[in-house]
Amino acid sequence: MDGITRREFIKIGAGAAIFSLLPKSLIATENNAGPMIGVAEGDNSKLVRAAVDLVGGIDRFVKSGDTVCIKPNLSFASNIDCAATTNPAIVRQMVQLCLDANASRVIVMDHTIHDATLCVERSRIEEAIIDKKVSLVTLQQERQYAETEVPGGVELTTIGVAKAIQNADVLINMPVAKSHSATGVSFGLKGLMGLIWDRGYLHRVNLDRAIAELATVIKPDLTVVDATKALTTGGPGGPGKTVILNKVVAGIDPVAVDSYAVRIAQWYKKSWSGNQVKHIRAAAELGLGEIDTAKMRIKEVRV
Amino acid sequence: MSLLGFFILAFIQTRYSVPVTFQNLFFRFDPLIFIVVSIAYRTVLSASLLSISIIAATLVFGRFFCGFVCPLGTTIDVFGIFSRKEVGRKTKLKHLKYMILIFLVVGAILGVSFLHFLEPLVIFERSLTLFLHPVVAYVSGLFGLGSARVYTESMIAVLVFALILGLDFISQRFWCRNLCPLGGLLASISKLAPFKIIFGEGCTQCGICEKICPMDAISVDSTLVDTGECIDCLRCINECPQKVFTYKLGRASSPLDLNRRQLIGAIGTSIIVAPLARTLLHRRLLGTLIRPPGSIPEPDFLNTCIHCGKCMKVCPTNGLQPCILESGVNGLWTPRLISRIGGCEKNCNLCGQVCPTSAIRNLTPEEKTFAKIGTAVIDRARCIAWEQDRVCLICDEACPYNAISSLNETIRGTTLLRPFVDERICTGCGLCEARCPIEGRAAIEVFSIGEERKRRGSYITEEKIRLRALEEKEEDIPAGFIIDN
Repeated sequence: MDGITRREFIKIGAGAAIFSLLPKSLIATENNAGPMIGVAEGDNSKLVRAAVDLVGGIDRFVKSGDTVCIKPNLSFASNIDCAATTNPAIVRQMVQLCLDANASRVIVMDHTIHDATLCVERSRIEEAIIDKKVSLVTLQQERQYAETEVPGGVELTTIGVAKAIQNADVLINMPVAKSHSATGVSFGLKGLMGLIWDRGYLHRVNLDRAIAELATVIKPDLTVVDATKALTTGGPGGPGKTVILNKVVAGIDPVAVDSYAVRIAQWYKKSWSGNQVKHIRAAAELGLGEIDTAKMRIKEVRV
Repeated sequence: MSLLGFFILAFIQTRYSVPVTFQNLFFRFDPLIFIVVSIAYRTVLSASLLSISIIAATLVFGRFFCGFVCPLGTTIDVFGIFSRKEVGRKTKLKHLKYMILIFLVVGAILGVSFLHFLEPLVIFERSLTLFLHPVVAYVSGLFGLGSARVYTESMIAVLVFALILGLDFISQRFWCRNLCPLGGLLASISKLAPFKIIFGEGCTQCGICEKICPMDAISVDSTLVDTGECIDCLRCINECPQKVFTYKLGRASSPLDLNRRQLIGAIGTSIIVAPLARTLLHRRLLGTLIRPPGSIPEPDFLNTCIHCGKCMKVCPTNGLQPCILESGVNGLWTPRLISRIGGCEKNCNLCGQVCPTSAIRNLTPEEKTFAKIGTAVIDRARCIAWEQDRVCLICDEACPYNAISSLNETIRGTTLLRPFVDERICTGCGLCEARCPIEGRAAIEVFSIGEERKRRGSYITEEKIRLRALEEKEEDIPAGFIIDN
């Protein structure tokens, strides 16, 4: 028993109870109560822990014994210097955090666009499979998906969603920051398309709106954007121009994280805001999160 | 038996992520492939020079290849457990294998290779590729293991294989005795071999040896072992109650079972069939016949490719598929990239690495990306970005060479990004065609327009490098952005 003592428990519990009774305006620090965004910059080997700590630390998301799904972008059989796939060192840090938080299982997974074997090899994702509790799953077969209703969906009524996330306690979305020839940018929201079976269907309907509707069904507990290196043109598959940012952006609100990430680089040689990206805006309009960066509590740290 | 295992191991290991070392060795040791392909291609097939060692060994020890090396022979022997009812029934068809051999050689002289229909190692390998592998992949798929494997043509390959095994019901090793051209070649060589099984003194004419000999090589009446037929299986030595047989040095024996009429028949058949088979009509008729990258020019390719299917087995996307009749009857089972099933992966050159006859050249992965196999063409009437104003652009997304640009184009007042192919950069890999989201035939298809086929020399040119390195590629702002906010 290395947990908390009874006395501590009561103290914390009482404190929390009082805290929760306070009016919202009193809890809110400084000027607003918007979603928190944690941005870590600097040493690539420490970014994930630093960013996650800014939004409450890993213990806030992963409890002892939890099954955690981590969803990086492994979709393309491009070499990692293309920045079309999530940096395996960044994924590894997240895996390590989950193990430190006593997760019982960590599943790293994606539905790859190119051949799964090649994607696994070229993304070097196996570098993140550091323990027996950690497994790598590519979601290439239809039976790995369960048909799921999309309540209130216009573009989507039902969609096959990966069963693995429905069976997991925690879903952590780990996209790489990159440009996208159709949706403009591809971060967390767009990355959710790696958890469904028929991604082609979304392209046949209104893609931007469909992504937003998908986000009503798949709700990651945490989104961590790998912006160590961003593919600013030629996305999503590359090759294209890349820029080294040495940043990781973490947050709970999927719209806020994406909207913030739009500002961290120039995409297609232009500066944009989240409001100018149709699928992020559509998600905000569906009430899935905050799009206005002025209303976010942005915490930055250099490591 | 162990060599059959080795052959199957070589087959299994013919896959992505296993370096190519020994996987095509069997074929390179095959003297029939060496002779026929060298003649048809008019070039000594250097990869197959190893096979001279088999010719030399046969010249000394006889037809051991058939008894100990050939995986098809071993499989027929194993199958014999089920079929062997009449063990040593006589058939007077032994001359057929020589006729088939002559048919192949004369065809090759006339510039047509028929090897793929009749070569035992090729038949075996192809059966594993087109039949066994898909079945194993399907069954293991039921247990959630591995990925599916499908081919456009498997049934003809299965029938050929089943027919060869089925002939065993007529007599033991019917194929090896009577039909196999490689057997015919080795038999004619082994007639000269000094080491052989010799019928000694003390025979009681019990006839056991005649019954057990799988090749019908022993005649008790004349106390002779036909060295052309004998495959050195040594069963007679072990089984003879009087121990009359010994394996030792001896004089040459028994003439070839081939008379002049049969010889002329074989040559005549070849002279009639070869010109009919030698058509290249498909080059004009089928614009979507895409050969693997690094394939030598089509007439040479058809003569050099032995249709063994190794390239199809190794192709990681399953895109390499056997032709059925697309390249003529004689092109059955030649490899063809069907991009709708799977494109040609960028940093993969495995088909060229495993090809035992270099019909597909072994280019470096870098050079392979410069070997243009065709050009993607967009069918605007079917493309949903062009015809239905959809934000699709999956082809742009899929292209690993940035040969597809998404540019704003106004149609009936709607301005939208629509895909364009830069034919100078497109290599014809077909990854776009594989991923096109519309049902059925893709709206972007690879045609053999601009394909490069070279016997030798590099595919890399300065112009290609320059085009590929173009920094300022045309790229419009994606439709996912709202430009005026």
